[in-house]
Amino acid sequence: MTVLIVIDQAPYGSWSGREGLDMAFSLAAFDQSCALLFSGAGVNWLRAGQQPDGLGQKSVAQNLGAAAIFGVEALYADVQACQRYGLANDAIIAGVTLIAPDQTFMTGFEKVTFAG
Amino acid sequence: MADISLQTYTLVITGAPYSSQAPQTALDFARAAVTAGHQIDRVFLYGDGVHIASALICPPSDEPHWPRLWSEFLAEHQIPAVACVASALRRGLIDSGEQKRYELSAHNVRAPFEIAGLGEWVEAGTCSKVIYFHSGA
Repeated sequence: MTVLIVIDQAPYGSWSGREGLDMAFSLAAFDQSCALLFSGAGVNWLRAGQQPDGLGQKSVAQNLGAAAIFGVEALYADVQACQRYGLANDAIIAGVTLIAPDQTFMTGFEKVTFAG
Repeated sequence: MADISLQTYTLVITGAPYSSQAPQTALDFARAAVTAGHQIDRVFLYGDGVHIASALICPPSDEPHWPRLWSEFLAEHQIPAVACVASALRRGLIDSGEQKRYELSAHNVRAPFEIAGLGEWVEAGTCSKVIYFHSGA
């Protein structure tokens, strides 16, 4: 019964990921089971040590820190995308599960949604 | 022709008019669905899609007026349409309630659109088929 929200765009340059995160938080706030998947350039959300102060934006990694508090059940990252973007295991924020988003993984969710 | 069982749909539009095809494609879908006897229980505007609900959009007279076309369709079929409040406020889409709350000089939500929270979208997901119309960017 879980909804999977997919974030596939890099942080800071586009607002769609933040709006995807808001969707996940809303589902969780209404006691709907949900999880987040970061794929493509979206895996850059998970990079540890982000310093976006110069952009006048909040750190998306810090926003993601609230996911567990809201009740988002899991943070998944596409392992191949992490490799493509040079994101080594020790450069990824805590609490992320690396997966291959293949058919077996995706069919485990009732619904899959992109924010935009 | 195969018998298609009748469905109830919720449409989510996240692409803005005049910078994406999303509102037009969604309206084409909505018209086709209603003509075929399906139900559309609500339309939810999210992200840049909230611009469809602006009463101040003035395209050149030889271009389709997507906000007006959407309003007319919604009114004709009595379909409720909601713009996400967080998306709307960020983009300057304001109803009279938010105008008072934030002490702004004007409001600009086109009837029959209303402003509401993401809870409306969450609720829709539990009882109907939800279709998303994105900008494709």
